[in-house]
Amino acid sequence: MRLESEQMWGYFEWLFQQFALLWGVGILAGLCLLGFIVCYVAATFLYGPVEGFYAVTRVIYELFARDLPSTTWRRTYAIARLAFQEAMRRKVLAVVAVFIVGLLFAGWFLDPNADYPARLYIESVLTGTSWMVLLLGLFLSCFSLPADIKNKTVQTIVTKPVRSTEIVLGRILGFSAVGTMLLAIMGVLSFFFVVRGVRHEHDVRAISADGKTGQTTLDANHTHTFEIGENGEGVTNEVKGHKHAVVDTGEKGEDGKPIYALEPPVGMLQAKVPVLASLRFTDREGNTGEGLNVGYESNYQKYIEGASLMSAIWTFDDVTESRFGKDGINLEYTLKAFRTFKGDIVTGVQGTVTLRNPNGKVESNRLRFIIKEFQVDQMSIPRELEGFVNSEPKKLDLYKDLVDENGKMEVIVRCEDRSQYLGMSQADLYIRKADRSFGWNMFKAYVGIWLQMVIIICFGVMYSTFLSGPVAMIATLTCLVFGFFGGIASEVASGKIPGGGPIESIIRMPTQTGAMTELDLGSDVLENVIKTIDYGIMSPLSVIGRVFPNFGSLNTSSFVAYGVDIFSSLLFRHITQAACYFVVTALIGYFFLKTRELAA
Amino acid sequence: MSAVAPAASPTTATADSDIIIETRNLGKIYRDFWGRPKVQALESLDIEVRRGEIFGLLGPNGSGKSTTIKLIQGLLFPSSGRAFVFGKDARDVSKNERIGYLPEESYLYKFLNAEETLDFYGRLFDMPADVRKKRSEQLIQMVGLKGARRQQLREYSKGMTRRIGLAQALINEPDLLILDEPTSGLDPIGSREMKDLILRLRDEGKTILMCSHQLADVQDVCDRIAILHRGRLRELGRVNDLLKVREVTEVHAKGLSAETQAKISELIKSSGAELLSIDNPTTTMEELFLEIVRESEARPGMRTSASAQASK
Ligand SMILES: Nc1ncnc2c1ncn2[C@@H]1O[C@H](COP(=O)(O)OP(=O)(O)OP(=O)(O)O)[C@@H](O)[C@H]1O
Ligand SMILES: [Mg+2]
Repeated sequence: MRLESEQMWGYFEWLFQQFALLWGVGILAGLCLLGFIVCYVAATFLYGPVEGFYAVTRVIYELFARDLPSTTWRRTYAIARLAFQEAMRRKVLAVVAVFIVGLLFAGWFLDPNADYPARLYIESVLTGTSWMVLLLGLFLSCFSLPADIKNKTVQTIVTKPVRSTEIVLGRILGFSAVGTMLLAIMGVLSFFFVVRGVRHEHDVRAISADGKTGQTTLDANHTHTFEIGENGEGVTNEVKGHKHAVVDTGEKGEDGKPIYALEPPVGMLQAKVPVLASLRFTDREGNTGEGLNVGYESNYQKYIEGASLMSAIWTFDDVTESRFGKDGINLEYTLKAFRTFKGDIVTGVQGTVTLRNPNGKVESNRLRFIIKEFQVDQMSIPRELEGFVNSEPKKLDLYKDLVDENGKMEVIVRCEDRSQYLGMSQADLYIRKADRSFGWNMFKAYVGIWLQMVIIICFGVMYSTFLSGPVAMIATLTCLVFGFFGGIASEVASGKIPGGGPIESIIRMPTQTGAMTELDLGSDVLENVIKTIDYGIMSPLSVIGRVFPNFGSLNTSSFVAYGVDIFSSLLFRHITQAACYFVVTALIGYFFLKTRELAA
Repeated sequence: MSAVAPAASPTTATADSDIIIETRNLGKIYRDFWGRPKVQALESLDIEVRRGEIFGLLGPNGSGKSTTIKLIQGLLFPSSGRAFVFGKDARDVSKNERIGYLPEESYLYKFLNAEETLDFYGRLFDMPADVRKKRSEQLIQMVGLKGARRQQLREYSKGMTRRIGLAQALINEPDLLILDEPTSGLDPIGSREMKDLILRLRDEGKTILMCSHQLADVQDVCDRIAILHRGRLRELGRVNDLLKVREVTEVHAKGLSAETQAKISELIKSSGAELLSIDNPTTTMEELFLEIVRESEARPGMRTSASAQASK
């Protein structure tokens, strides 16, 4: 999993600095205006321009003056309950049975030799759960109202003092309740399935003559080696993403040596809390600049050159003892090496970490590391460490000396090997806070799935107020596709995805120009014209895309699979988005229901 | 009655006035998806239903009875004219507080049982739980579904469905009852009970609008009727007046001697009239109905025969 900078925005940063609020209000205003115009044109067609205007404004007036004030909880609840009962009648609980069967068979399909079995388990149950719940929400919401209209049962409802608002809200609530129930059952089942699935035990198979190192038995398709320290306790190496603690049982074997036992795995089901920082680079002269691009297709990582003044500087905020603990901090990083010569392939590329007070006067010694590629690397930084104050060697205290008065601290990474490069992006280095519970993280992922389900139900109910069941379903799916490709369109328009828009891409194909190289047609004017047209095509698309929910970005299950605590801010953002979709779809549904003849 | 131009508000009917339902120039054209007219189901209908009366809508199949009722409920939107109920526009939801509606067929949720059905519709009237419970108890008793109260509606017979449909229409103790073919599907005893109930409700001061094919039923219970044919009003008036055949005199007497009968015949003949038969009864509803249909098929337009104007 790779964290995108968008995912790291704080809630209010997203709302204000990243213009989410502005976009939201803009889109809402646009939709209202568009809706009014469309309705007015339709009404003019039916009743003539004056009467038409009157008809449209009357519906709006009725919403605020009559229907919203007279909406009661009891009626809404009655409709919701009916929707729930209807779903139960349709035997939706069979979905749970299918899910259980799925779990039973999943054991066969999941590869026991996988590198990260926990990841595999979590990803498959979360994906399975969300597919089932989303499809269920889609079917329930799209077919219910059209069926009621066809059976004419709706006629007995709307001849009661029921408001259209109540019919729409009640349905959304009722189906959401069904989904919530199923999701809760499936969530609990999944949790135990995952916990059970990754649990395994090892015994000590062999131990060296000096009693310091040993090897475990082969269980769950892997073995560990371990080392035992002076105090008689030890830990195994990391295999398949986890370790075991080795403890002295207190008993002695026949030969008088202590007998060791292994504890359950740690690190398999975790929810680590990365504290991210902003990243900047210095160039070869040591001035603030850009990292290098080594020509990989992705712009995601930037590279720094070894044995030069180039460095990557992360600035952390709010570095306090109360936040990270009195013993110092844990750094975690996943850096990429780019070698321009093979060198000593076994040793690996070397780098250093330096902590620095942003005032520039206090700096720690360089702490060496050898990078392990494609693996998360850890470095514990003790509370007390050697360093320099104004270039004078001195003993430093992490929180007192290296953090400035604003609570900021810099972490500088350099590459030490000449002509080798280290690649990194913002999320590749972070301070790891105390872990949260895995169960809580899984719960948050389920909240994410729940939000997606509610959004689908909202769209389904909205479309079902004026379309027949199958058409409503297709319309809902189309919205999801729009949302998904809208995300891509906006990335193309903003240049985040290399290669340019449609015209540029078409030119690149026959000329076989790679996406990373600049388009070169020998004429700046021509290039600019093409880029402008592309932008003109892609930016409206990206606006349209923003109107629809992007399920790609709403999905947080990979956080759980990769053992990263889902940021609360991200969750709140998704809740906000879902709430907006709820309001908009409920309104549109209301207007359609209000203005259609239910007996025709 | 002459057509009244549509106006923004009812002329006479207000919330408290004696006119409960008023339609003015009410018309409905069913259109297809593209807005092209398909069927003219109703044409400039003007009727008034007054407080405390039983008003019957009569007409052959497809004459626009259900369409009228749906327009009055706001289930359909008029293509021309307007309908008012309790002085409010037919599309105003708040009027439903005081209406009970029994649809053509009982469009109820088949997966609920009698109790759940009544509880559900009670909730839609925002009735608190204890009131709902008491009320549904009474109604189940009244329509005679005590033995089947826990049975799902899908297992109900047609008559039982009709009864639960009626019970749901009465859950809110409505002032106005709209019944689309109330006796259809009921056995003779059931339909007798239904008619008695309708009369009782009228005596309690409720207003009832019903439509039916069962001419006998209409004759038995309705105070006034309107007869529709092909979407047009053909006849409107008090049932008694409509059934009275003015050009025919009926003489009922006991103990007339043959001599006296001969004298009467003589007298009739001398006054230039023709004696048909002395003991002929009033026409039946059926005859009236068939006559109107025949006539309207031959000659479109409102009937102008002597009795037809007795709309007041
Ligand atoms: N939804 C509709 N779409 C198109 N035409 C319709 C629709 N509903 C009714 N009609 C037509 O309108 C006319 C009147 O129908 P309506 O249902 O009002 O008759 P009715 O008097 O209730 O008949 P019945 O005694 O059979 O119930 C009929 O010709 C019918 O075909
Ligand atoms: Mg009918």
